[in-house]
Amino acid sequence: MPEPSLRSSLVPWLRLFARRRRRLVLGTLLLAITHASAVGLLALSGWFITASALTGLALAAGLAVSLDVYVPGGGIRFFALSRTVSRYGERFYNHDTVLRFLADLRSRLFAVLARLDERSLARQRASDWLNRLTADIDTLDSLFLRLLAPPLVALLAVLLVAALLSLWLPWVGIVVATVLLFAWGWLTLGQAWLGMSASRRQVAHLQRLRGQLVEHLQGQAELEAYASQGWHRRHIEEQEARLQHDQRFLARWAGFGVALVNLTVGLAMLAALWLAALAWQQEAIGGAVMVMMPLAVLACGEALALLPMAFTHLGATRGAADRLNALVRAGEAVSTSGSEPLPAGPLSLCLHNVSLSYPDALEPALSGIDLSLASGRRLALSGASGAGKSSVAALVARRLPPSEGEIVLGGVPLAHVDERALRERVALLGQRVDLFQGSLAANLRLAAPRASEAELWQALAWVALDDWARDLPSGLETPVGEGGRALSGGQARRVALARLWLRDPGLVILDEPFAGLDADTVARIKPRLDAWLAGRSAIYLVHQLDGGDFDPPGITHEARLEQGKLTDCANHGHPSG
Amino acid sequence: MNDDAHRPTPRRWLAAHAAGQRGWLALAALAGFGAGAATVAQMGLLAWIVSGMLIAGATLGELGETFALLAGVLALRALSQWGQEVAGQEASLRIRQRVRAELLDHLAALGPVRAGERHSGGLASQLVEQVEALDGYFARFLPQLRLAVAVPLLILGVVLWLDWLAALFLLLAAPLIPLFMALIGMGAERLNREQFVAVSRLSGHFLDRVRGIATLQLFHRTAEATAEVHRAADRYRLLSLRTLRVAFLSSAVLEFFASVAIAMVAIYVGFGLLGYIDYGPADELTLFSGLLVLLLAPEFFQPLRSLAQHYHDRAAALGAADGMLALLAEPVHRADPQPLVGGKGLVALEAATLSHPGRGRVVGPLNVVVQAGEVVVVTGPSGAGKSALLQLLAGFVAPDEGQRLTRPELAIAWMDQRPLLIHGSLADNLRLAAPEASDSELSQALERARLGELLAALPEGLDTRLGEGGVGLSGGQAQRVALARVFLSRAPLVLLDEPTASLDEDTEARVVESLRALAAEGRALVIATHHPALMAMAGRHLRLTAAGLPANVEEGADA
Repeated sequence: MPEPSLRSSLVPWLRLFARRRRRLVLGTLLLAITHASAVGLLALSGWFITASALTGLALAAGLAVSLDVYVPGGGIRFFALSRTVSRYGERFYNHDTVLRFLADLRSRLFAVLARLDERSLARQRASDWLNRLTADIDTLDSLFLRLLAPPLVALLAVLLVAALLSLWLPWVGIVVATVLLFAWGWLTLGQAWLGMSASRRQVAHLQRLRGQLVEHLQGQAELEAYASQGWHRRHIEEQEARLQHDQRFLARWAGFGVALVNLTVGLAMLAALWLAALAWQQEAIGGAVMVMMPLAVLACGEALALLPMAFTHLGATRGAADRLNALVRAGEAVSTSGSEPLPAGPLSLCLHNVSLSYPDALEPALSGIDLSLASGRRLALSGASGAGKSSVAALVARRLPPSEGEIVLGGVPLAHVDERALRERVALLGQRVDLFQGSLAANLRLAAPRASEAELWQALAWVALDDWARDLPSGLETPVGEGGRALSGGQARRVALARLWLRDPGLVILDEPFAGLDADTVARIKPRLDAWLAGRSAIYLVHQLDGGDFDPPGITHEARLEQGKLTDCANHGHPSG
Repeated sequence: MNDDAHRPTPRRWLAAHAAGQRGWLALAALAGFGAGAATVAQMGLLAWIVSGMLIAGATLGELGETFALLAGVLALRALSQWGQEVAGQEASLRIRQRVRAELLDHLAALGPVRAGERHSGGLASQLVEQVEALDGYFARFLPQLRLAVAVPLLILGVVLWLDWLAALFLLLAAPLIPLFMALIGMGAERLNREQFVAVSRLSGHFLDRVRGIATLQLFHRTAEATAEVHRAADRYRLLSLRTLRVAFLSSAVLEFFASVAIAMVAIYVGFGLLGYIDYGPADELTLFSGLLVLLLAPEFFQPLRSLAQHYHDRAAALGAADGMLALLAEPVHRADPQPLVGGKGLVALEAATLSHPGRGRVVGPLNVVVQAGEVVVVTGPSGAGKSALLQLLAGFVAPDEGQRLTRPELAIAWMDQRPLLIHGSLADNLRLAAPEASDSELSQALERARLGELLAALPEGLDTRLGEGGVGLSGGQAQRVALARVFLSRAPLVLLDEPTASLDEDTEARVVESLRALAAEGRALVIATHHPALMAMAGRHLRLTAAGLPANVEEGADA
């Protein structure tokens, strides 16, 4: 794949920024006022002191001269105040803007993630990836304050000072502008070019290091047993050395940029002083103006000061943008659904010669699966972990497209089914149960947003959680999920089951429905589940059927998966359980 | 000796690490001071040139040397600034490397069991992100902390020499400096704390929704969730703006004082030069001294403003150090085992017990001797301490009571349910157990672990890369890679913790077959298992009793 250009990496995000153009302009303006005040303060002060000294000397010599001290004095006080006020206003206003971007960025990316299929999500579910995602969002979030506003304001400051000097001596303005614009170009483009690849590699280096450390910690037993901890440590240290090599490189060049700011501003100051002195000798300008010129140049150094650090590390922002762009592309690559509705009542299901392969696996996850389930029947699909049960569930719930073969649901090819209809008519209880931060009621209403409180209590009663919930001090409003009340694995599973009950699916897929539940609870819930499943089709995914109390109710078919292939099918003459 | 009472404070621990890189940090501060001194010289020369021309009537030609000197000072200043950056970064890089090594050494000393009680992802983030979070503190904050005292003092000295009343203005601000510092500190720390809470809450909300995105998709609720993510971020914005409104005040105060100092000095000097002020030293003011005082006034505050910018680095480092110290405070109990002499015994436990924090005693007291060449099967209900027994035998954890004895220099091989696969080639993964092994030995070990077929199927054979970006192995295949390592290692004692758990029947049968081959080599095997096929291999059978009770060892020759 060709490397995306810097422009194509950043443009999608800049476009997002453009939506808040007015805030950007105002924020940049405030920043510019801060710097202009700094220039004004120092330049006017220098002018005033020199004018005072010259007037003082003239007075001492007995000349009748006078200096208006009130206008410059007032100006100095004004700039002192405007610099403080605009600095405060700028920081406050721009942080507000940044936080608004954060909201935009997060919701935009969430919408992208919401389109990803099971495979992309599974690859990215690792906590490491989530951390990187938030870090990437934060990196892009600070784009404006680090990479957009400062160069713009620095450019404005340079042009402003040059224009100011040109009022008296146009060629001083031109010389200063030339030197400082060259510096500006180097500090932005040059520093970015220097640091690009090293700063882009940073995240990859850190991630590699992190991966190796996780290996080191998780494999500590084996490494210690084989006395190879030192051997593995050396690998880690090599990776750390690569990381630090780049960090050292970046620090040197960023430091170079910082030094360069002061050097070029100093040299521009020197040039302005020399030229102004020449003009003064030719009596083209007064002494006070001659002093004001180098001081104005000196004061605009502050506007350039932030550039080298930010631009040397531009590659980090580019890397973040590239990763998020890849995510957006993955979301766009997922095929959109069809528009056909599903019939009412129980749904039949047919898999014709279905295979599923993951790109980096040696063997297909599923191969040549032929399976059919008449409406209203219940299939128990058993197999060891890794045999492919979850892949079957993901295919049937259209969380993944099959690599080969066709799936027909309720007489409609699965790929043609309307998304909303599919989600309403096919319910899946997976191995993982997701409870969200929020109240118990909010977690239940995920399944049925308009459900009344009475219905929620009914749902809880159905999974035998109503007594437990009634004992909670806040009842349905009890916060659950991370940061809330920790539910046991069994309770969480029952809440997830209650969520299914609140819907009216025609096909229900249950992965180990009774996992983590005790025998008493299973005995209470099993007949209710049996009754609710009447008039629906069902697929149970189980490790092993043993004919005991934990087998799900009313199995009509059995099939066994081994390493992605169906091995035997037995039809039960009568429902068991 | 490593208990809480002796635990250093984060500040002291950071200081100790800083002391280790005294040289580079001193160099950074020295270079920074050099830059400060060069700034004073630069301003002095600027004022000298101006005053020389306007007052003394010198021509540009006469001042040529001063111009050249000024250019030299500018270069010197740039060089010093570069030196400060580079030296600070060098200190920071070295300290970060050392901290990482210190943490890894401690984790190695704790051993697989005690270190394994912590979530490996959390530990890895401590070793990577948290260590990196120390950067700003050592590279920038610490050198700047010294400069924030030294450079203003230098400037104050110069101004005092020029005009004591102007110095008094700055000195009046000087007692305010600690106040500024406190203000900044309080502001920054409060900002940090509150922002941290709010940020983690917001990130928590976002991550919570991302983690559960599959469920949201299944319930067709992603559009609502997207809107909710936006609302949550917006709520967070309003909340943090309330904090920022106050927090930014502290830096505004600093900005205000710096600006007012310039304004006051300018007006004082101006009026003094005009002769409007006839007390104090004002009538001795010249254009040179007046201009220099003016130029130095902002530089007096500049180091403080830089420090304020780096203040959050300090908070970040203290936070990170706190977490690392909690890890380093975990006591290390492991010691070298007693030698086991005479007989066929490889390793022995005498009245050994093991407890886990929060769970109490998990196993023991145990008396076990493993003889060379025997196959011992350990069974018992889950929670009976089978893994603990193996960990004690391996020496991964020290018994709380009793002791472990081993034959001197005993090599062991280990395999559990979660085999280690390192990022690298298949060969790297095998050589972990025998760094010197030849390629043919590796192939042979794979063959014996029943992975010959896999090796033949791999596109690049032993050089095939495993894991992310390479070939993904199934759980059973990974298990057999671990087994191949056991074959490679030649260790006389092999400890296997549930080696066939979560394998399908077919794979399990292959693994059992391989283990038989291993026993046939005359190696001693200790296997913790539930599986009948493995139990059938037992030369000796240890049964541990149910959970919660101190386990007793029943020895019997039956299966």
